[in-house]
Amino acid sequence: MSPEMISLILEATLETLAMVAVAAGIGTLLGLPLGVFLATSRRGELFAAPATNGVLGLIVNATRSTPFIILVVAIIPFTRLVAGTSIGTTAAIVPLTVASTPFIARIVEGAIREVDHGLVEAARAMGASPLQIVAKVLVPEARPGIVLGLTLAVVSLLGYSAMVGAVGGGGLGDLGIRYGYQRFMPEVMAAVVLVLIVLVQAVQSGGERLARRLNKRVRQD
Amino acid sequence: MDGSSAPVRPAQLAVPGGERPSARAPSSAPAEALLRFRGVAKIFPARKGQAAVTALSDIDLEVPRGAVVGVIGRSGAGKSTLIRLANGLERASAGSVEIAGRDVTALTERGWRDARRSIGMIFQHFNLLSSRSVFDNVALPLEVAGLGRAAIERRVAPLLDLVGLTDKRDRYPVELSGGQKQRVGIARALATEPELLLCDEATSALDPETTASILALLRRVNRELGVTILLITHEIPVIKEVCDRVAVIDQGRIVEQGATFEVFTRPAQATTARFVEAVTRAELSPQLAARLAASGGAGARLVLRIGFSGSAGTAPLVVRLAERFGSAFEVSGGRIDTVGGRPFGSLIALVPADGDLGDLVEEFDLTLEVLGHVA
Repeated sequence: MSPEMISLILEATLETLAMVAVAAGIGTLLGLPLGVFLATSRRGELFAAPATNGVLGLIVNATRSTPFIILVVAIIPFTRLVAGTSIGTTAAIVPLTVASTPFIARIVEGAIREVDHGLVEAARAMGASPLQIVAKVLVPEARPGIVLGLTLAVVSLLGYSAMVGAVGGGGLGDLGIRYGYQRFMPEVMAAVVLVLIVLVQAVQSGGERLARRLNKRVRQD
Repeated sequence: MDGSSAPVRPAQLAVPGGERPSARAPSSAPAEALLRFRGVAKIFPARKGQAAVTALSDIDLEVPRGAVVGVIGRSGAGKSTLIRLANGLERASAGSVEIAGRDVTALTERGWRDARRSIGMIFQHFNLLSSRSVFDNVALPLEVAGLGRAAIERRVAPLLDLVGLTDKRDRYPVELSGGQKQRVGIARALATEPELLLCDEATSALDPETTASILALLRRVNRELGVTILLITHEIPVIKEVCDRVAVIDQGRIVEQGATFEVFTRPAQATTARFVEAVTRAELSPQLAARLAASGGAGARLVLRIGFSGSAGTAPLVVRLAERFGSAFEVSGGRIDTVGGRPFGSLIALVPADGDLGDLVEEFDLTLEVLGHVA
């Protein structure tokens, strides 16, 4: 493979990493509170607001059931509003974030629901406010589950990021399609797939190791 | 004084035992009630497909300052709801709840939050945070109350000492035994130096030996720190071991209450006797149950549940039965507890099918229940 090709792959890898990192970062910032709210706002719970919970749940489900490639195209006006343009790597971060936020929210919701209700009762009995219960009990206790879920979200984002080539998003997927497929360069395709496999492996094992370290429910000797 | 500016009362733990106010009011003088329920009812409103449930009705209960009061009842009798009314985790549907003379029935959730800082609670399943070390679990209520790290350190260390877990301070709950977990729970409940400690089936998940050590600790907490205790349980030994006063609850109503010894030894109260008998009711072993037949052939033996409720001793009865039936008499199981020297509970016994126990029933004031026959 030519040095030019190698530097192209390197550049595409960095683009992918940048898109995924920013989308996962913003997705977590938005998805974490959203997930906490979804988990605690049903009838009789800490922040009981069943109507709002229902509406948010619906929006989350709608976003999650839209195929990513359709979502990318469908929200182009929104993307233009946020990023100033609808093409390019920066613009691609917008649909990636929109797709990852509800995904992360559901993961956080699930992890928080797993927390033993007795702990919430204990915290209430010591006079904790709902926000204290979230900050000191629910999120810390759900942390191993949240970290594992975020790992899953990042892996999915790596896959999604391959599709944003459709809007000039760049990155590894785009490179693979344009060079590997359209220009008949199978070695580029193979290299792209190899890099993606290495990235997914790294994310997965890193996430698992972190989750295991955070999980105090099993003895660690 | 530890110099903390947080809204917590002066550290009792820092004071040597002798200077504390006397924990136990003399039983003759009418002690002031720290907690009082007056005509309390709790009705869970009807939900989709479910009728309204009356969990408690007409509850009148007093917990004198410095006392240990136990509420005993079967599961589903309303005990858990009752104890949760004392710290506002449940709200009364009718009647009033008073703490230290202050009516807290209509307190807002925010008002309860402050009130709860002077009420500790421990739980059957401990409810410790798995993500926090022993130290940090005990520190949690203090963090909630807004204390600084230094003040927390000063407060937690003596508590860990009190419950004997100083060497476990950096361990996580998963590394502790059940008894140790409950000790952490007790330390945590005492962290804000509450006047009242609520114990929700605190020993029900523990083996008898551990139960005894936890009960001894609760006794110490009551005597040395002057903490008033309200506990609920379905175990008679717990009541006998630590409670000055007991209330018997059945189907959402308090059927009897008074000094522990009197309640359990006064045979006039049939409900209580029946109740106590029911909690100590012996069950058939699965092996025996499998062999049970409705009627027996020749040589079959009768399987009986012989119930005691404050009647005369079991030992003479067993001797008499053995004399009468010889090796045909067999005891296959039993749960007997003595209160005030009198047995409460029942025996599962095998006797010859034609055996006559009429005279013994009268003499020992027994109840007999025929469970079936075995060959």
